[in-house]
Amino acid sequence: MARDKNSEDYVGPIRRLLVGVLVLALLGLFLIWRIDSPRVERFRAAAIDKVVPSFDWAMAPVSGIANLIGNFQSYQQLSAQNQDLRRELQQMKAWKEAALQLEQENAKLLGLNNVRLDPQLTYVTGVVITDSGSPFRQSVLVNVGARDGIIDGWPTMDGIGLVGRIAGVGQGTSRVMLLSDTSSRIPVTIQPSGQKAILAGDNTLNPPLEFLENADLIRPGDRVVSSGDGGVFPADLLVGQVALGTDQRLRVRLAADYQRLEFLRVLRAPPHEEINDPGGLLTPETEFIGPAPINALEMADG
Amino acid sequence: MAKAPATRIWINRGVFIALAFVIIVLQLVPLDMRPPRWPPPDVLLALTLAWVARRPDYLPVYLIAAVFLTTDLLFQRPPGLWAALVVILTETVRTRARGIRNMPLALEWGTIAFGIVAITLANRIVLAILMTPQAPLGLTLIQMILTILIYPLVVFVAHYMFGVSRPALGEIDARGRRI
Repeated sequence: MARDKNSEDYVGPIRRLLVGVLVLALLGLFLIWRIDSPRVERFRAAAIDKVVPSFDWAMAPVSGIANLIGNFQSYQQLSAQNQDLRRELQQMKAWKEAALQLEQENAKLLGLNNVRLDPQLTYVTGVVITDSGSPFRQSVLVNVGARDGIIDGWPTMDGIGLVGRIAGVGQGTSRVMLLSDTSSRIPVTIQPSGQKAILAGDNTLNPPLEFLENADLIRPGDRVVSSGDGGVFPADLLVGQVALGTDQRLRVRLAADYQRLEFLRVLRAPPHEEINDPGGLLTPETEFIGPAPINALEMADG
Repeated sequence: MAKAPATRIWINRGVFIALAFVIIVLQLVPLDMRPPRWPPPDVLLALTLAWVARRPDYLPVYLIAAVFLTTDLLFQRPPGLWAALVVILTETVRTRARGIRNMPLALEWGTIAFGIVAITLANRIVLAILMTPQAPLGLTLIQMILTILIYPLVVFVAHYMFGVSRPALGEIDARGRRI
């Protein structure tokens, strides 16, 4: 070491100081993130918004090659697949008949009841650009953002089932937190028993159901749909089917195809109307004649 | 040594940036959105450590900080913490680079493994103290072990494909100092 003393004497301390400042700056950023998370997350969304779409040219060949390999593997199993598909098709034909009959019946009943299904539930479709890049975070980036009117919290579906919710919106991109993420909690209803539960992501493909009132009423194979409780999501979006996990917990086999998320629909969920006044019709406060107020009070109590 | 040392250093920095870019893109490509059963090793960390242990002059500290801060932002990690820990670790390795140069590979591997374990634990402890939601412990440990296991492979690739080997005796840097 002695031979370098002269050359390192003046470089060393300055360098150490600069490295110290660098580390402090990074830790400072982390602390700011911890204290004021939304602001830094907005910065993160903006940064990703700028950087990631420009990675397109690099990602296209990678995903292309991966698809090529996947296709090649599926060519090898072509005949087996063909048989499977035939069998499935037969089943589907039977289902199609059933579905047609049910559709007619449903249309008739809806007409009789004069029901209007929610007409405001339109959607924007986006393409998945990247996934989260980390094995501990389950989220994807789609190429629609604030520019397209996307708002935090909107539900996202693939063609069939619920995929996740918007968590973080940039100008041209937005992040979809998948149902399998550890911080995802969705209120659901289990049909046909009507039990309410919370679908809690735990970084596995089949998230467990939590806060079930009566697990005996639920059978594997029951449909799970979003319940619309708490104004988180609109009601009746298909989530998946109940399945019994190997750990004897009730889990949900998600209807969305997580293996191939390519196009995602972001549903424009209208904001829920809040009821703030105590209900003027039930408790009229002016000009009573006779015993009416007592009745009104009793009604309110009862 | 056909090229001037300064040119070689810049070429090698370019190679590192390109490799980091490739690793980041490969991690981001949306191929399968199912949660993985086995988290993949943190190749970028192994790569950085191999570079720093072998040729610290190829990898200035600001480059490391920039690359890891970018991945913090892109991979939805708490921004700054992991980057700071990696900078601290690489600085520690950098000051010992002379010692590491004379070690057999097994000893070097052990030193690096100790460092990886230290920053992984530090990361978890800091996150726990600040009550930040964390990844499951099992997955983190598996990733840590895989990262340690992949280190010799990275060293091998760095040595034979990118020529990042321990400096020979008496080699000098751009300013004529011995490294």
